[in-house]
This record gives sequence, structure tokens and C-alpha cells, in this order.
Amino acid sequence: MNRRELFTSAGGDACVQATQTCGGSQLIPNVALRTQDDVPVKFYDDLVKGKQVLINMMYANCEGFCPLVTSRLVEVHRALAHRMGRDLFMYSITLKPEEDGPAALKDFAEMHGALLPGWTFLTGDPFDIETLRFALFRHNHIKFDLDLNGHAGNLRIINDSIHRWLNVTPMASKATVLQHISWADPPKPLEQRLKDNRALQEQIGREVAQFGYRKVI
Amino acid sequence: MFFRGLALLLSLYIPVLAAAGVCEEEAQWTRSDSQRHFMVLAGRTDVFYERSGPAFVMLIKNGGEHSADDVEIGAFGMYATSGNQPAFGAVPASEYEGFLHERGNQASEVMLRVEISGPQYEREVKILRSWERRVRERALLYPDIALDNILLVKQATEELNRCSNTLTPYELDWGLEDEISEHNAALRIPFEYFKELRRLNADKHVPDSAVPAALLTSASPVPRTTRRD
Repeated sequence: MNRRELFTSAGGDACVQATQTCGGSQLIPNVALRTQDDVPVKFYDDLVKGKQVLINMMYANCEGFCPLVTSRLVEVHRALAHRMGRDLFMYSITLKPEEDGPAALKDFAEMHGALLPGWTFLTGDPFDIETLRFALFRHNHIKFDLDLNGHAGNLRIINDSIHRWLNVTPMASKATVLQHISWADPPKPLEQRLKDNRALQEQIGREVAQFGYRKVI
Repeated sequence: MFFRGLALLLSLYIPVLAAAGVCEEEAQWTRSDSQRHFMVLAGRTDVFYERSGPAFVMLIKNGGEHSADDVEIGAFGMYATSGNQPAFGAVPASEYEGFLHERGNQASEVMLRVEISGPQYEREVKILRSWERRVRERALLYPDIALDNILLVKQATEELNRCSNTLTPYELDWGLEDEISEHNAALRIPFEYFKELRRLNADKHVPDSAVPAALLTSASPVPRTTRRD
């Protein structure tokens, strides 16, 4: 009998539970992707490193959540247009890379008025997209993690320069989404923070004098 | 605009056509006695914590391209290191060889061996190789390898039923009727899942007596170098 091993790595290349060096805990994979204009990019090096970014997942043929989420993101983009492409960037990654090539993503973006400065649609190898999906959006619960539509309903906010990660549902009010994004803004200088704090305290003082309680949150 | 519309239409239909192609291939495949394919779901308990233990998927094919005596074999999933630590990866021959034969009805072990078609075998190989790549590139999906192993066994068993009901399924879906995920630690879930599949598919288990003798003979493996990802 001539026996052949299916896996050359048998017994050698393995992940041992205690070490946790096999991904999963790796924060942002540097996978190769393509933009809606078919430009090759490295996800971490080219798009995220040192930047403040908003990331969501979608697919072009999604009829439920994705168009609603995209239209909410268009509103968010309008509200932050002065920052988009300068110190804030948006990325929409397809959940179905087998179906969504660059052209399909461009059509989707065009159809939803989302071909805007600082907003990039991304596709890539299904293996890499899955790695990215789990790294950015996993719940550590297999049922939820296998539900692609569940992952389409989240907006991940990352400021890589200060290692801050937040999550918000884009279906929350625009004000809530904008507030979450502001929590990942780069810290203001001390003087500015003291000035803002003084102004807030004065406002609170005025409200307490007028209404008997604090109205501002 | 017309070509862009056409491209969009094609992008929508190509995956559907591809899936149909996969099942057509499976439907047209005919079994031959000279080449047979098996998938084995194997597990043990009381090796790691929470009464858990190794649980893996093994693939066996005999009758290769060159000779009827060729046997291709490999297993992937959770196994015990020499220090009895859980490890996730390609299972060493010394671990899986114990499951080449039936081992009687021990409560601490489970084995379900089903005969599958050539196209099913190739699809299973693809799944296991994708996990091998994840291990090699340190790109596992979870920080806890117990969850990765659950995902692997779920994908491997559900893939068998993509075109036809090869196995009577158990819905490992964390739903209200899924007792296994409700009552077991993550590391033990694959064992209980295999046990339930064995119970549901007792009639599909292939006993030693129906397996080509060459497959049951232990021999030193030759490293496989001809296939890559």
C-alpha cells in the first residue's frame, strides 16, 4: 500500500490554545483588497494605519438592511463632509466577494449616491474577506457570526492612532452615530478641553438656575 | 451602461450557476469499486478540561491516479499534544490511526465513518485545506481554538448535505432545540455533535468489514507533496 498524507503539516504547524498566536486576537489583518475602481490596496497599511476610519459590511444584492444602512451613511458623510478624505475615511466591504467585483460595487455606490470623497468600497479574496469580517465584527458566538446580515448592521469606528475601537448600529439616530464617531476623535489639546469644560459648566449653571435641574447631557 | 448592466446580471447569476454545477457533478458521479472515498468523524472525551477531548474530521481515499493500492489520508481538527494540551491543526498520524478501525462501543469515544462520492471528497478536502491555510497563516477566526473547531466540524458535516441528504442532520445552531450547544463547553461540543450524528446515522456507518482491507492496514505515511492550495 502506498499511503500519502493529505496534509504535509500534520502534527507540526498547529495552534495550541494557551498561546493564542493564531489570529482571532490579531486586530486588523493586512489583507489585499481591491477598490470599486479596481485599485489594489493593503487593508491595514494603506487604509487604516494611523487613521480614523468608519467600516461597515454590505453586499450589492442585499435588499434588506444594506440600502438603509448605506443611506444612513450618506447622511453621516454629509454631516462630516469637511473631514471626509482628510482625517476621516469610510470603507464599505462586501460580504459576498464571489458576487461583488469592483464593477458591481461601483454600481451599488452610484445607485445609492455613495461615490463620495473619502468613501471606498472594497472587495477581495473570499478567504481574506472572511478573516476581515471575523476580525472586525465577530461576536464570539457562532450563530451570530455565521449570519452575514447580522454583520451588515454594524458600523465599526476605529482610530488607529490612539487604538480606540467603537461600534454603533448605523440604524441609530444620526446624532447617536455622530456622537459615537466623535468619541474616537483624536484627543483635543489640554487648553481646548479646559475651555470646552468651562463653557459646559457655565451652561449647566445657567440651566440649574433657570429650571432647577441640569438639562444638557 | 448596457455592458455594466450585463456585468451586474452575470455577477448575480454566476454563483447560482456554480452551485448548480457542483450538484450536477455530484449527481453524475458513479461509484467504482476501484476508488472509494470515506469521511470519518472521530472524537474522544476526558482528555482535556470539562471532560472534553480530541475531535476531528478524517478523509480517506483509496485507488489513486497511479495505483489501486494508493491510499490518501488526512485528518484535521482538535487533537492532544504530547503534553495533553488541545491543539488545532492537521492531526498527526499517531492520533488518527486509532480511528482507522472501529473501537467497540466505548462511551468515551465516537466514530462515524460514511462513504462519500468523489465530488464530495474533493469539496471536503477544500474545506480542510482552507483551515490548514488559516493555521499556517495564523489567521484563525476566533481567539479560542475550540470555537474554530466547532466551525470546522459544522462546515465539514453540512457540506456533505449540500446537494443531497448524505447524513441525517443535527441542527447545531444554538437555537431553542439545540441541546448540545446549550449544555456543553465549547471544547466538548464537537464530540457530542458527532455522537448525535452517529446515533441519527447508525445505518450509514460503514463497518470495518465493508471497508477495503488496504485502508485498515497501518503503514508509514509518505508525505504528500503533489497537491498545494
